[in-house]
Amino acid sequence: MNILIVDDSAAMRIIVQRALREAGFEGHNITEAEDGAVALESVMEEEPDLILCDWNMPNMNGPELLQALNNEGCEAVFGFVTTEATPAMRDKANQLGADFLISKPFTAQDFADALAEFT
Amino acid sequence: MTQTSPPKPLRGFEDIRRTWHYAYKKYGARIMPGEYYVTRNDELIATTLGSCVSACIRDPDTKIGGMNHFMLPFKGQGDAAMDASASSRYGNFAMEHMINDILKNGGRRENLEVKVFGGGNVLPSMTAVGTKNVNFVRDYLVTEGFEISAEDLGGPYPRKVVYFPESGRVLMQRVAMSRRDEEEITRREIEYRNSLESKPVGGEIDLF
Repeated sequence: MNILIVDDSAAMRIIVQRALREAGFEGHNITEAEDGAVALESVMEEEPDLILCDWNMPNMNGPELLQALNNEGCEAVFGFVTTEATPAMRDKANQLGADFLISKPFTAQDFADALAEFT
Repeated sequence: MTQTSPPKPLRGFEDIRRTWHYAYKKYGARIMPGEYYVTRNDELIATTLGSCVSACIRDPDTKIGGMNHFMLPFKGQGDAAMDASASSRYGNFAMEHMINDILKNGGRRENLEVKVFGGGNVLPSMTAVGTKNVNFVRDYLVTEGFEISAEDLGGPYPRKVVYFPESGRVLMQRVAMSRRDEEEITRREIEYRNSLESKPVGGEIDLF
């Protein structure tokens, strides 16, 4: 499986990878991107099956990326991993067609639960 | 010059108590273990650190900055309930929350100026805690590509820190504590540490 992790924090990208490993997702091809614009390019090249994406980022934020991917007809499973998760953000994520939203601080178990449906 | 009421806080920081500081002729927020405060106003942020660490971070261009005050949750020796990865995860969230608020309010990641303080091995019963907090914050900043522009970390001292995000100035004092002060800092840090341990480091999931 190709997995793309999009977050402007390098530490957070490491933590998400570690949580995925702890949740039993090993041996997958993982790519990282530090914002939505970089992620969009990477999606064209890598064709990920799963995208885990932060909400607030410079250049292109998470919801803008998801909108752009929708316009491109991208069919990857898309989940937000965010620090804040207000009801308005949850509504927006749902409207844009995100598959799930995990709010930080998360555990490996949260990833296992969220991804169980899609793997 | 005095002001009758503190300047308007950023959204989300309405609950942080601020008082007028005659010595600096500014309003200031005093933050407790586990709290952080971000502001765009010309005010100060103060805290007292034992084994906890504080990062003072600002964007010198937009003058927005903040200070946090945290420690990693470590259980006692031999208790594996809170492993190192869960514990550093908590530290990451403490840093990321504040940095996100700075970025959301107009700061730019590439501009951020970072100063770090604290992590004293203050108490025999919490000997290694200060060092672990210092190691964490150093590793975190290296990973994130931030340079430390000023620091005073480790050693056996408690510290008082006053930060002026508008100018970036920090006044820091290693303090010789009275027994009572020391007991008070210890009490707060232990209370904070216990609260971290009883709270699982977990988030929420929404499946759509």
